[in-house]
Amino acid sequence: MESPQNIKKRLKSVNNIGQITKAMELVSATKMRKSQQIALDSRPYAFAALDFLATISSLEDQKLPPLFEDRRNPPAGGIKKVLFVLVSSDKGLAGAFNSSVFKKFEKHIKEDKKHENEEKVFAAVGEKAYNYLLKKFSTVDQSTVLRKFVEAGDYTTPEQVRPLFDFLIKGYLNKDFDRVIIVSTHFRSALKQEPHVRRVLPIDYSHIADTIKQIIPERGKFADLIKEHNITFTLDKNKLKEYTIEPEPEKVLEKLAEHLFFMQIYHLILEANASEHSARRMAMKTASDNASDLGNKLNLQYNKSRQARITTEISEISAGAEALS
Amino acid sequence: MKLSIYSLKKVLFQGEARLLNCKTIMGEITVLDNHETFIGVLTAGIIKVVEANPSTSSGPREHFFPVKSGFLEVKPNNEVRCIVEQ
Repeated sequence: MESPQNIKKRLKSVNNIGQITKAMELVSATKMRKSQQIALDSRPYAFAALDFLATISSLEDQKLPPLFEDRRNPPAGGIKKVLFVLVSSDKGLAGAFNSSVFKKFEKHIKEDKKHENEEKVFAAVGEKAYNYLLKKFSTVDQSTVLRKFVEAGDYTTPEQVRPLFDFLIKGYLNKDFDRVIIVSTHFRSALKQEPHVRRVLPIDYSHIADTIKQIIPERGKFADLIKEHNITFTLDKNKLKEYTIEPEPEKVLEKLAEHLFFMQIYHLILEANASEHSARRMAMKTASDNASDLGNKLNLQYNKSRQARITTEISEISAGAEALS
Repeated sequence: MKLSIYSLKKVLFQGEARLLNCKTIMGEITVLDNHETFIGVLTAGIIKVVEANPSTSSGPREHFFPVKSGFLEVKPNNEVRCIVEQ
């Protein structure tokens, strides 16, 4: 049997780890709630913006702004380059959070035979995604464009998402890439997160509407809020003729497209954040459960070995006393 | 008029207002009660809102919100809505 001193040492370190993981669990839980709250606070804006989009787009058949333009058709030159954006965390210890995003991404590339000939470029959000892409692609093909955006982390403000948004818009309008696909985590509930592959550019009304519906998790504290709102895209066209629009509808629509796209990106990042924190919370919960289990076992072992030692000592003493008498 | 101002972070204002003053691409405008239906694009500037009910002795309360960009929509039935970016 191991000596009590050794077991005591191990017991101490296990308890320490347990305390650390417990603390991390609590911190992640708070952060998760905060991210969810931020996502919810942007909801009235999202609904208003969508409603606005519906109003303007129902006005007349105007030309769609370039962000809506689908370049699949011949006049636009077809799709040559596709940008993949991988959204992950900056830090590890979040269970399967990052690896599930990467797995989904690999699966998507493998299965997507239709677009095999298109050139692929990549951008990373989060340190982990950057390292992953670096390992996987840059050794093979140095020309692959890599941009990374980090510290989109804990309390995301709209300003923090701005660099990513500018990069996407600029590149798309420059025709650096003709389609943008984002692989990120969808926050279904505090216990369940799924990696999703989404096409964000060109913009599609229904895609944005979907994103907004997803702002609310399926279950949990905020789930009841989903019933409040119903978005409709039908409007009375006769009424709209009375609107004075300054400057022109096309220009307003162009601006609105940018706002909506920004909101969508912002929301995807928020959702990934909430997922990261809840994934970390779950991982840390398992870790602290394991630590307390192990602690109990070691404690038992320690007591047993101490008892065994005492017993041997007593029997030695009594044997010695007997020999003397 | 019923006025709501939304930003990405929160709802900035919601309630009865007497006056809304803001800068649009075409120039500065003030919206009062029963304005005609209107859609405009806001530029960087300050939105000024004067509440309808004088709640304090010093007159109706005023609010100021700095914005970077946004949209203004005056709807029928005396409703006004702004979505702004700060």
